Amino acid sequence: MTIRRIGLSALALAIALVFAFPTYWMFTSSIKPRGEVLSTSYDLVPSAVTLENYASALLGSDFLRYLGNSLLVTLTAVACSLVAGTLAALAMSRFRFRGRKGFLMLVLVAQMVPFEALMVPMFLFMRDLGLLNKLPALILVYWITTLPFTIWSLRGFIDGIPIDLEEAAMVDGCSRAEAFRRVTLPLLGPGLVATSVFAFITAWNEFLYALVLMRSEDLQTLPVFLKTFQNAFGTDWGATMASATLFTLPVLVFFLIVQRKMVSGITAGAVKG
Amino acid sequence: MTATHTRPAPGTAGQPAVPGARRRPRISVSLPYLLMAPAVLALVALLGWPAVNVIITSFRKLDLGELTRGEVVWAGFDNYAQILTGSDFWVIALRTVVFTAAMVGATVVIALLLALLMNHIPAVPRVVLQISLLLAWAMPQLAATTVFQWIFDQQFGILNKTLVLLGFDSFEGASWFASGTSTLTVVGILIVWQAVPFVAMTLYAALLSVPKDLYESAGIDGASGWQTFSSITWPHLKPVLLIVTFLSILWDFKVFAQVWAVREGGPNGESTTLPVLQYLEGIAGKHFGVAAAVSVLMVIVLVIVCAQYLRLLLRSQEGEL
Repeated sequence: MTIRRIGLSALALAIALVFAFPTYWMFTSSIKPRGEVLSTSYDLVPSAVTLENYASALLGSDFLRYLGNSLLVTLTAVACSLVAGTLAALAMSRFRFRGRKGFLMLVLVAQMVPFEALMVPMFLFMRDLGLLNKLPALILVYWITTLPFTIWSLRGFIDGIPIDLEEAAMVDGCSRAEAFRRVTLPLLGPGLVATSVFAFITAWNEFLYALVLMRSEDLQTLPVFLKTFQNAFGTDWGATMASATLFTLPVLVFFLIVQRKMVSGITAGAVKG
Repeated sequence: MTATHTRPAPGTAGQPAVPGARRRPRISVSLPYLLMAPAVLALVALLGWPAVNVIITSFRKLDLGELTRGEVVWAGFDNYAQILTGSDFWVIALRTVVFTAAMVGATVVIALLLALLMNHIPAVPRVVLQISLLLAWAMPQLAATTVFQWIFDQQFGILNKTLVLLGFDSFEGASWFASGTSTLTVVGILIVWQAVPFVAMTLYAALLSVPKDLYESAGIDGASGWQTFSSITWPHLKPVLLIVTFLSILWDFKVFAQVWAVREGGPNGESTTLPVLQYLEGIAGKHFGVAAAVSVLMVIVLVIVCAQYLRLLLRSQEGEL
């Protein structure tokens, strides 16, 4: 029994190595001296640490401009999603009204629409609006890509906050809006953070619509930049890996913040069981 | 997570919960509609209209000429006829289906084995495994694609170097992106590597929810390992497994970014899948009507494949509404 457990543990660690390797390799390649990245020698561990790859990625290219585009587009879209999503989730969670069920179905179906299949009408639509090659086009698209999930997720969080608290505040003389702002909104904080992180990751990652709608090079976002980067830089894999690391970092940090909850929940359950 | 218990709004139920709720101002009748207005407008304008429009466009002859002149030329089923009679389409459609099936199959099998493994190992190796899964999961698709291109690089890639070190000298300078099949294999490995973590974690969570006393009584009854699995674990796992399988089909079928970023559907169109075809026809080739027809066909295939899942999902949500 114990030998079996040791064997299985060793297997698990070997699999862990396989899954972690690309991340490890991206990071170590980004801090290796340039000569070492493109050499025929076999170094799994960098012999020296250098930031020259980061310097050439940040200064030798338009990385910062694309970072700015990505941040602007993503943050604006997430903000729009949160506002519209919170309002809609509130309506669905706190009110019973005609058409509520239909709206819930609409949100559910919207979550399953394959956005990739709307590439052509979206292109034509943005062209008609005169928004091709304008960042607001991407903001609109990312708003709609993240909105259904945001509504659904926030609805779950609001459902989890007892309405009694709001009612108590209203008895004490708060208006409905005040009761929401003072009582429910603070309790909704963690839900808003988790939801916005997931929305951020979705929009930050998006590639297809950035490629389709932003034909002009200086308006592209980081994912499209990463693809074109290799052509621009030839085979400067060190700088490419530095860009990829910088692009991954915010996602990784956000992801770990949100996922820790999930994983600790899972492991806690395992220990308790 | 699914705290689905919803309460009736104050005042709508027979007896109001608090005295103050009775004198609600008249505005609250329209309030929920006002609250929903931005979301509904966005969904209808930015999602509903394009969804209708893709069908309309698929029946139009719409190339760059018609687009710039603003002409509306109806084509009937010409676009569909052109697509379906072209020799490329069937090859590409079959390739997409096989590619998707291979990725979904690999993802679900590997994830299932990992979930079972996590269930049988001590906490420390399990957490190490989970953290490494998170790393793969969290990396943005384009960053992951770039890293894989670097690992699989012809000259300096670590994979070829390792294979040569192990004595496979033929891999020195071997190109992984020289044929469509090997290109799609690399892309498939990349996608599976990023897809396994979510599926494995979900299945592991499902395993944890199996009541432990069921295993105890199975142990008392002297059930073998396989009997325990087939009569206790599997029935609990099956519904979750079905859902993640269908979700994986939905996600993998429409993969575009990784395929396009690696070789833009090449070499010689050998790694072109339906989403890539749609991009090539529509955005690159400016045959918008034809591309819209490809989109519609894509969705039809997806709906056929996923109809059962959609039914299950909508039914399971009905109680929640």
